Amino acid sequence: MKVFKKIGLFLLIVFVCIQFIPTNRNQSTEILDTDITKTFKVPQNIQTLLNESCYDCHSNNTKYHWYDKIQPASLFVERHINEGKKELNFSEFGAYSNRKQKSKLKFLISQVKDDKMPISSYALIHSNAKLSESEKKEIIDWATTLRDNLK
Amino acid sequence: MRKILLTTFLLLTFLFPQTQDESNEIHIEEINNHHNDGHGSMVNNLSENTTKAASIQNQSSTSEIIDAYLQLKNALTEDNEEKAAEAGNAILTAFSNFNISQLTEDQHKEYVEIVENAKEQAEHIVKSPIDHQREHFEVLSTDIKDLIALLGIETGTTLYETFCSMYNNHTGAMWLSETEEIKNPFYGSKMLTCGKVQKQIN
Repeated sequence: MKVFKKIGLFLLIVFVCIQFIPTNRNQSTEILDTDITKTFKVPQNIQTLLNESCYDCHSNNTKYHWYDKIQPASLFVERHINEGKKELNFSEFGAYSNRKQKSKLKFLISQVKDDKMPISSYALIHSNAKLSESEKKEIIDWATTLRDNLK
Repeated sequence: MRKILLTTFLLLTFLFPQTQDESNEIHIEEINNHHNDGHGSMVNNLSENTTKAASIQNQSSTSEIIDAYLQLKNALTEDNEEKAAEAGNAILTAFSNFNISQLTEDQHKEYVEIVENAKEQAEHIVKSPIDHQREHFEVLSTDIKDLIALLGIETGTTLYETFCSMYNNHTGAMWLSETEEIKNPFYGSKMLTCGKVQKQIN
């Protein structure tokens, strides 16, 4: 029993200490001119889907929940956001070259089609982010048209 | 109690290497940027034959890029994910070795746009499973084709623009080959001979 108490105390101390690890918050109130919605025509239903399923990791504004702010979750979230934005940032889509836009749309289509995005760990916790088959089709159709028009 | 605190402290220090890795990554990127700046400061001494001479000089530089691309293409025809990843790295090296100082202003702008995209494809190819490597190879092939249209290739080199009509749900995809013999990089052994030469370059 004494051993368990010691382990418990140890874990508690670790838990409290790691809350002090500094993390950056990805938040911004303004919608940039380079946002995809300002660069191209994005129908309202698609905007909603992008906001709910993609923007947390792929834009300059993440909607944090309380559990996202607790370590060690906070570190994982920050890493996902950094990697996500590096790959694709809808807030800066308008600043991409035509070539890059076409390329990003191509992978958006294939990643959604193959259920690679939104990533399962994210969709598990944020259930409204999960895309139904019809929602996937909506996004894919929109992205395909947009990409074809860029040619 | 003291033992607990000591162990806790030691374990916490192991949590920080994660942030250290990030700073190492940034450090490497800075070195690369510095490397590129060095090239930019070279003076262009060529006379009126600038375009011709520059393009000949650049043709030898695009050779390294093209060789690395073909290395990748061949790895994919052999279904070799590891070799493809190595080739991805070879492509990145070739881009960093390329001398951009002799490009004209117009060429420079387009070159940067092409290479920014091509590098991203290569970076993915280095760390992805083969199916994903092939998706990025498709985009990369278009980038390399455009790069060749912009800067040319070494005299004596011939490339064949080959098309596979089945890839991507029959949308089709193009690749560049050093030979007319069809060896499909998108399907590898599954459909090795699927494809048709559409155009000869040089």
